[in-house]
Amino acid sequence: MVSGFLIMGGLGVVIGVVLALASKVFYVYIDPKIEAVEDALPGANCGGCGLPGCSSNAAAIVAGKASASSCVAGGPDVAAEIAGIMGEALSLKEPEIAAPGCTYGYQDADIKYPYQGIYDNPAAVLLDGGSKICTIGCLGLGTCVRACPFGALSMGPDNLPVVDTELCTGCGTCERVCPKHIITLTSTSDRIINEYVADECTAPCHRSCPTGINIPGFIKEIRDHNYEAALAIIKEKCPLPLICGYICPAPCELACRRNLVDEAVAINPLKRFVADYEMESRKHIAPYKARATDRKIAVVGGGAEGLTVGYYLARLGYNPTIFEAKPQLGGILRYVIAEDRLPRKVLDHEIEGILKIGVEARNNMVMGRDFHLDTLFEEGFDAVILTKGGFDSRKILQGESGHHDSPVDGLYLMLDFVSALARGERPDPGQRVVILHSGAEAIDLARRCRELGAEEVMVISGSRLDQLPVELQDLKALAAEGISVRHSSVVTGLQGNLRRLTGIVLEDFRYGEDLPPERETLTADTLIISEGRIPEILFVRSDDPSEPQAEGTGWHTVETFRTYPQSRDGMFSPPEPGRISDSSAVVKSLLSGRRVTRAIHQYFTDNTVTPLKNLVCETGPILNVEEVHDVNPAGRELPDATDVEGNSKTAWIFPEKFPGLDEASAVRESERCLQCGLICYRKQA
Amino acid sequence: MTDYILLVVSCIFVNNILLMQYLGNCPFLGVSKRMETAVGMAMAVVFVLVMAGAITWVVDIYLLKAFGLEYLRTLSFILVIASLVQFVEMFLRKSIPGLYAGLGIFLPLITTNCAVMGVCLINIMEEYSFLQALVSSFSYAVGFGLALVLFAGVRERIILARVPRPLQDTSIGLVTAGMLSLAFFAFKGMV
Repeated sequence: MVSGFLIMGGLGVVIGVVLALASKVFYVYIDPKIEAVEDALPGANCGGCGLPGCSSNAAAIVAGKASASSCVAGGPDVAAEIAGIMGEALSLKEPEIAAPGCTYGYQDADIKYPYQGIYDNPAAVLLDGGSKICTIGCLGLGTCVRACPFGALSMGPDNLPVVDTELCTGCGTCERVCPKHIITLTSTSDRIINEYVADECTAPCHRSCPTGINIPGFIKEIRDHNYEAALAIIKEKCPLPLICGYICPAPCELACRRNLVDEAVAINPLKRFVADYEMESRKHIAPYKARATDRKIAVVGGGAEGLTVGYYLARLGYNPTIFEAKPQLGGILRYVIAEDRLPRKVLDHEIEGILKIGVEARNNMVMGRDFHLDTLFEEGFDAVILTKGGFDSRKILQGESGHHDSPVDGLYLMLDFVSALARGERPDPGQRVVILHSGAEAIDLARRCRELGAEEVMVISGSRLDQLPVELQDLKALAAEGISVRHSSVVTGLQGNLRRLTGIVLEDFRYGEDLPPERETLTADTLIISEGRIPEILFVRSDDPSEPQAEGTGWHTVETFRTYPQSRDGMFSPPEPGRISDSSAVVKSLLSGRRVTRAIHQYFTDNTVTPLKNLVCETGPILNVEEVHDVNPAGRELPDATDVEGNSKTAWIFPEKFPGLDEASAVRESERCLQCGLICYRKQA
Repeated sequence: MTDYILLVVSCIFVNNILLMQYLGNCPFLGVSKRMETAVGMAMAVVFVLVMAGAITWVVDIYLLKAFGLEYLRTLSFILVIASLVQFVEMFLRKSIPGLYAGLGIFLPLITTNCAVMGVCLINIMEEYSFLQALVSSFSYAVGFGLALVLFAGVRERIILARVPRPLQDTSIGLVTAGMLSLAFFAFKGMV
């Protein structure tokens, strides 16, 4: 007994002493920062950062491989503490929280068969993708609820998960365990810049709204008399709800599923109703704004698109300044659209609201006359975005010779260049000219440039060689003239110095092959593009140390929009419906504005603009219903107005004389909304 | 000499610690998802087991047996093995950082792993000499490594196969382990 105590005690003492000595002898220096950072991290080992656990993330943060805000569970406080330990400036993303993306639970949706198997979603999905007919419907078996490490999820009465926004840390565990990817992380910033993708629950009106307003969402808020919340939902996608309420062609109403029963829900009048509500309450409802950053962005052009970019940049925490050539903001909305259709007091109200949330505007400022790219960079702007939209700003410059409505010297519209030649002027094409055109006229222009003194002229086309006009296919003969032709290539970027163009970035691709395109940079003094106007171009300061910085600020452009994987358009692609650079309706300019905002935000947070995958506006047919059952017909609410014959007036051509819906009829109208999902809708059984 | 060869064969194959004695199953399932980690774990086990086998033999013969304290065997083995691993970890970190980086995270995992503990106890129960204890510890560890690497190879293939959802991961792992164990039954009666 005693010997037992002695032996074990002795053994313990000896081992203790040896280990104590060993820890001195074999002491290895470990960066105390790693321990400090690990202490600051929550220690939940949730994996939300993408690394196996908190200690590996701590090591990654200290090694500079992860950012101080990489811990999603910790939120801004932890990020601030870590940034303090690391002595870094903090670039914060808005925290994201989980959002279930299904609106009709198991008992309300159409099902293929009753499921009575294992109470777990991954098991249920094995049987033909789950019992719901909808391929992206929540099966309601609560796998996400059980997986949530923070207890933020619970199962609601309608068999859909409910998120406790106070407890949710945005770790993304639910997103990873959901076999159907229904529950996803989102934030207001995220919703501002995102577009709908094909595997997400969208109503027909969602999908047809060019800027993607969450229409069922805001109508539901009207039904519940939460008009400010309704407006906040609209303003996540549309900064000009009242203007749209007046002049939007409302493609959403054509798509409305209620058309199958009686008449479309009065979506646009409902939008106008909440916007009117804001105007009549004589205050601008303050929207959610992300934490402020010190980045300054110059927005060139103060039309609908420029205002959208300014508005959303301000909401994302940037400091935008709009440069407008005309004496007042508004562009086409102010100077083209008839007062009868869009009262200017409405426009002034909307612009006032945009300026109020932190957008600066400088009017009567013409790019190329009053300011230049290099003066903007000198003034401290981190990025310059052109949002000249559909407005023919060349008119503004009339009478001033030498102007070609170009943001940088060396970038020409083909029309301007050719008409200058026709007038007998001799524009200086520099040494190396690049012409972006697929037509036979490119040859003629290339020869003229050679006559004007250009050493090398290159014609670039996105088409395949055998699709080019025959004049462009004789590569040998053209090479002898000093003209080279490049097919299957697009321009994806520009580079320059001060206000001059110095190079272009090309992407080469091979048709029919899925290889990533090859990227190449060419030096060029002049780029002639055959489009009718200068598209949205995002200029940022160039920090590439390999470039000769001798003559001042270098810059390059960032490609603002690309879809994946089909799109091979480059930055000078022609505008087509639903893509960037579309000003055929104000609501389409809002979409381009949001896309440009996304590019700026992604460039400054992730340093790269990712292509958009699987966009709902680009994909083919999507799951839908052909007929609607169990819905009682009910007539559309009309505003209190009659035409000369005393009939209720249905046209909305002169909205100024055409009052909007009053509150009672707006609420009644909102009841008509079927609150559609992909194939579900509210049935009145 | 034949005795030693038989001992080696019996420890690696016939009495394989993982597949025949069912000891050390947590690392067997835990680190067998990737070949890389499986090899790392196998090396760490060889390393620790040889050292633990040697030192526990010494402790047992010269301390416990000498003072008639065999009833404290489990307790003292845990203490000795745990501190040994701790010591080795510190030594490696300082002196052979390359090896530490390779084995580092596995060492604390197997501090008092049942496979390590089990082999040390088997050594004593079979009344091996010091040299026999060393050889048996080494061979058991090699057997452990062999089973682990085989299993990891199989699991890497399983990832590519279309396993039904409810059977994925650990479930199919256990089924595979069972089959592997059945295969090892063929060695039964060889020695």
